[in-house]
Amino acid sequence: MEDLGKIHQLIVPCFGHDMVFNLEIIVMTWIVILGLICFGFLAARKKNMLPGPLQIAGELLITALFGLTGDALDEKLAKKYAPLICALFMFLVVCNWLGLIPHLEEPTKDLNTPLSLGIMGFFIAHYTGIKAKGLKRYLLDYCHPIFIMAPLNVIGELAKIVSISFRLFGNIMGGAIIILVVSHLTFSIILPPFLNAFFGIFVGTIQAFVFTMLTLVYISVQVN
Amino acid sequence: MAIEGADIIKAAAFLGAGLSMGIGAIGPGVGEGMAAAKACEAIGKNPKEAGLLTRTMLVGQAVSESTGIYSLVIALLLLFVV
Amino acid sequence: MSYDVKTWVDVAAFVGAGLSMGLGAIGAGIGEGLTAARATLAISRNPEASGEIFKTMLVGQAIAETAGIFGLVIAMMLLFVKNPNPSFIMVAVFIGAGLCMGFGAIGSGVGGGFPAGEACTGIARQPAMTKRLNTTMLIGSSICQTPAIFALVTALILLFSDFSALPLCPTWAAVLGAGFACGIAAIGPGIGDGLVAGACCESVARQPSSATIATTTMLLGMAVTETTAIYGLLVSFILMFKTFPATDAIAPAMALLGAGLCMGIGAIGPGIGEGLTAYSAVGQVGKNQKNSAELVRVMLVGQAVSESTGIYSLVIALVLIFVV
Repeated sequence: MEDLGKIHQLIVPCFGHDMVFNLEIIVMTWIVILGLICFGFLAARKKNMLPGPLQIAGELLITALFGLTGDALDEKLAKKYAPLICALFMFLVVCNWLGLIPHLEEPTKDLNTPLSLGIMGFFIAHYTGIKAKGLKRYLLDYCHPIFIMAPLNVIGELAKIVSISFRLFGNIMGGAIIILVVSHLTFSIILPPFLNAFFGIFVGTIQAFVFTMLTLVYISVQVN
Repeated sequence: MAIEGADIIKAAAFLGAGLSMGIGAIGPGVGEGMAAAKACEAIGKNPKEAGLLTRTMLVGQAVSESTGIYSLVIALLLLFVV
Repeated sequence: MSYDVKTWVDVAAFVGAGLSMGLGAIGAGIGEGLTAARATLAISRNPEASGEIFKTMLVGQAIAETAGIFGLVIAMMLLFVKNPNPSFIMVAVFIGAGLCMGFGAIGSGVGGGFPAGEACTGIARQPAMTKRLNTTMLIGSSICQTPAIFALVTALILLFSDFSALPLCPTWAAVLGAGFACGIAAIGPGIGDGLVAGACCESVARQPSSATIATTTMLLGMAVTETTAIYGLLVSFILMFKTFPATDAIAPAMALLGAGLCMGIGAIGPGIGEGLTAYSAVGQVGKNQKNSAELVRVMLVGQAVSESTGIYSLVIALVLIFVV
């Protein structure tokens, strides 16, 4: 219980400011990235007509996610953004599942991970919007229904980053704290594996999917 | 324990911020849920128009969320400006 | 006229016990009433199945009552567990625990009534599906109790942790806020979960062939609906376990109390709204399982968007705790 909310940090002074690195989270993120690279490499190594188990898993995932992107965007944009959506989903799912392995922690438990992904999605969505509609129509859309509403529309857009990233963070962090506290109360008998299965696998997958879908939806709302 | 005027004003601002966001979240939460519920029903009846219906749902929800965002703005103003 | 610490602690324990059982009885009362009403209607529609309907009604009511029993347990503890060394912080702790369990039992009590009522109606409509309906109802109404279990856990931690070493001034607000955050936040998700489980029972009865897909959709919808209750639990744990510096000023205390209220009340709306969304989605999946993939996707996105106001509440609560 004592290590609740404790973070291993590396603080480097840099031009009068302190640069803070959350070491544990960085290491965990790299574990996820390496795992995904290995998966991608192994799944695509031997492309057979009779696919192996890894290739089947990869193909199923990619077909499903390309299909989802195709539903939301038109053909040209879908082809462009499907790899991004695919990578985002796979990264988040593996991140949320990482806590199942003892001594490893979910990188999404730190607000920095979801927040940076949320900001990335925000910039991609607005870049796509400007490119598809032109700068003038993009700016005019903020003055909808009347120009006085423009500041509120801007705040509404910025609030999307807050909601998308805090949703992921809150769910994963909440799950981790509940598992810790309940394990402590029941002396780690019976309940923790089920809680881990629920919060790690079930909620983790759903939240990764919701995050990916919302990024996709934000892009498609900007385009249309 | 001497309570000063500034202290009470701060206290009221903090409590007000919490209540503003808390109570302000009820209406949009229920309303957006209703919008999504009707969208699900409509898609169940007419799955061909799913894309159009989803877009309409999202725009409707964004509009009904504006009161929630006003609450957020007021709460942040109370926290950091007052 | 002055009273000693022990008197005040006793007063708080009795008030807390009253609040816990009094508020806790609201939900179970409404939920069981709903179930009985639906069962009566169902028996009038199909008197031959009255035996099965009666059994299902009793089982369903027993589950809907769980939350009320949690309230009773906490009330009993407050009445009979005596603390050897009372301190003033116990006053806030006892009232907080009582409020937490009392509010926390409302939603799950009401929610537990919906699936039981729908199962009774379903048995009247489709007596061959009795077994499947009973299973669905049991799963659905047990998951409905999750927010109440969150509240129970918080109340128990409040009762059995030792807060006496902490400074009185901000801690009283922190424990009271923890009670509000977890307790009130359980109301919305409890009711929402109940709506979803009710829709699933209805779907199973209407279209037995779609029972599996309806149950899967129900579990998915309920998991998302419960997120705001998890946020409430998160905020209340932070309030309970973070140590706050001692202060004489009233503002930091109000910030903590405000954080608890903000998260608690802010979770009601999204909980009910997400429940409504999943209710419609499960109903439509039951009618036509061909569209289930599309429906589940729209349901998840719709729920996610309607949750955003709950997330703003979480953000304001965290700002009140950590920044102010």
